Amino acid sequence: MNREQVIKENTEQRKIQIENLLCAKGLEGISPKDAVKMAFPKAFEDLSPSAKRGYLNTEQFFNAYNFNIQGEFEYHHLAWRSLFVPTEIMYAMDLLPFTSEMVASQLAMSGMARERIETAEAHNFSGDICSFMKAVAGGVIENIFPTPDILITSTHLCDPSAKYAELASHHYNRPEFVLDIPYGLYDMSIRGSEKDLKRVEEGVEYVCRQLHEMIDFITEHTGLRLENEKLRQVIRWTNKARAWLEEGNDVTLHERTAAKKGVRELDYAANLMQTWGTERIVDVYKSRCIDYKASVEPKSKGTQPRIVWFHLRPYFKTPLMNYLDEKIDLCGSQINFAYWEPLDLADPIRAISRRTVLHPAFSSITARTAIAIDEIPDDTDGIIAYYPKSCRHFHGGSIMENETFKKAGIPILTIDGDCVDDRGEDFPIVKTRVDRFMKSILKNPRSAKK
Amino acid sequence: MKKIGWFCAYTPVELIHAAGFLPVGVKSDSGAEHEDVVLGDSICSYVRSCMGGALTGAYDSLSGVVIAHSCECMRRLADGWGYRQEEIKPRMLHLIDVPKVVTDSSIAFFAGGIKHMKETLEEQVGPITEDALKNAIETYATTRMHFAKIDTLRKKEAPAVTGKEVAALIEKSFEIPRESFNSLLENFIQDKEGETGDESAPRIMLIGGPGNSSLIPTIETVGGLCVVEHMCTGLRLFAGERVPHEDPCHELAALYLKKAPCPRMLHDKAREAIEEIQAMVKDYRVDGVVYYSMKFCANMQMQYALLKNDIPLDVPVKVLEGDISSEVNAREVQSFIKRLKKRRKKNR
Repeated sequence: MNREQVIKENTEQRKIQIENLLCAKGLEGISPKDAVKMAFPKAFEDLSPSAKRGYLNTEQFFNAYNFNIQGEFEYHHLAWRSLFVPTEIMYAMDLLPFTSEMVASQLAMSGMARERIETAEAHNFSGDICSFMKAVAGGVIENIFPTPDILITSTHLCDPSAKYAELASHHYNRPEFVLDIPYGLYDMSIRGSEKDLKRVEEGVEYVCRQLHEMIDFITEHTGLRLENEKLRQVIRWTNKARAWLEEGNDVTLHERTAAKKGVRELDYAANLMQTWGTERIVDVYKSRCIDYKASVEPKSKGTQPRIVWFHLRPYFKTPLMNYLDEKIDLCGSQINFAYWEPLDLADPIRAISRRTVLHPAFSSITARTAIAIDEIPDDTDGIIAYYPKSCRHFHGGSIMENETFKKAGIPILTIDGDCVDDRGEDFPIVKTRVDRFMKSILKNPRSAKK
Repeated sequence: MKKIGWFCAYTPVELIHAAGFLPVGVKSDSGAEHEDVVLGDSICSYVRSCMGGALTGAYDSLSGVVIAHSCECMRRLADGWGYRQEEIKPRMLHLIDVPKVVTDSSIAFFAGGIKHMKETLEEQVGPITEDALKNAIETYATTRMHFAKIDTLRKKEAPAVTGKEVAALIEKSFEIPRESFNSLLENFIQDKEGETGDESAPRIMLIGGPGNSSLIPTIETVGGLCVVEHMCTGLRLFAGERVPHEDPCHELAALYLKKAPCPRMLHDKAREAIEEIQAMVKDYRVDGVVYYSMKFCANMQMQYALLKNDIPLDVPVKVLEGDISSEVNAREVQSFIKRLKKRRKKNR
């Protein structure tokens, strides 16, 4: 199929897919154009920082179905993306990412995940596969997602996501590019022996070469080209956004602020987001930082325990997050950690490669816990880790993680839950565990142990 | 002879051999079956068994282990091993990352990983010469050649080789010196050449991971005959074509990445895996496929969803989900074999 045929076919398919999506959402009878308009009741500039983040995601979501925010047709070259595929190169090439894991969380937030998961399970997807991927698989089977022009997947972090993209590529009959990211280079960079550091550099070079191949792949299949000046502009936005993110993080980590709410803070999910490299993400993190700074309260005012959050939150409707907002001051989160140095404008592809391979989440439990022990301030009272039971990467290491933090004198509560699948949700039991954890923190404060 | 343990079929065992160690394959039934002290219960039963074995002294005769980072669960095995290292006797722990795609640059990168592993082994035993490595590659190539002959015998109309016999050979390969194992294979082939077996038994292709030791016996007890095992304890261990290269590490990298793939592999290699399975169904004149998907192995679970939903195999496929030691439902297997028997009779 040539490019024109792909665009024609995608255009036709996306028209059907948006209708299917609205139908699955219970909005049959509403035209896609009206649905788009309803999604943007306010202008971007008038929104709170967290709402700006949501606006940006929603705008991109509708763009993926070829709608701009006025509800008019606008074709977008779309790349199915798994988490951790760097987005800067995509934006520099006018390629819109469609991140499968984020879509699964959006389905859960709108109460649409459970049915999609059940569809997947009825189509040979095993019960213990990651629920993010099952929700996506169900959505693909029901044809509610936009057909991509191409797929770009990374082996970073989880097996199911990369493996599922293979199935999606087969289903949509669209070409796939796989970024093979070596595991454990962060650990080697910490060990720092000569042979380890040599291996780290080999890894950076390996991924750098793949990123160049990825650019060629995008051009070959979409006709989009990379302009160096545009890439530099995108990198500048990323660097600015990163600076604001880090400054905002410092406020949350060291101060009590009235503006911050747990759910909103976690939904920035900064190191997973598909919006790095856009101009608007600078505004999002800038507004967040300014908002937090403007609402700093004296430390003596707050009595809620200061808690660092690990991993993601449940995205389906549950009283848990509201309950936690009353009980804790969520002062930091693993997913908002700005772990990387500003990207080098003189050698942006290599800088992206280095940031990707040295992502600390893609490392051993020992390395991950060591970072947290270093970074978590002394006046933080503990950690809550919310791990989906089907997650081999995070849940699979939680026993070691618990023991390590306890040895380091940091109380931790691990909630075995799910982010997307609400079928095992049992708020009263989780609430009991949270209450007991809070009680033990208050009874044996971390400060008293020092 | 000092021993180094390995867990995954992507471990370049030739290098361990060249270092003067006996490479010992850690079997699925060698450890505690349900270790849940260190690893979470979302980790597959093979890895939890290995961790249990390490903590209960099952591998005390080893000097060290090499863990191939082939999947999320193996990653956590390395974590658990390192975390509890003080309680585990084998001291050396090396984690080697294995690319998931096959390209010139992934082969070159994996060759670098093999060199990195070589340096770790050399810290234990001193320099490993190029000649020693080339000889080891040669010795293991002989094993591959013998298994290719066994495969030829298994493709025959009424093969004399059973799945149980091949499983027993593979188990042996995990524990004895490779030179002795090659002699054993040679004798086995001599004994089987010219022999014939049961012509009426439905021919089964088994797909899976480390498997379950009662699976093949169950299939063959109820009247099936396993003719090919696309498993970590089967074809994936001994299939692969050697392409000589001046750098033996590069040669090993290409050999391992290009061999019959585990479902962990992605992109072209994953497509190749499916095509290979389709071709094998014809080559081995397979009557039915048993897909033994290990619980908590996302790669296998995704592959069987693809096979069941989108890929025509032209023969019935039975999917069984279980773990390395769970009881195989003999009645379920029996009814599948019975169906295949009828189908086979009709087709003939």
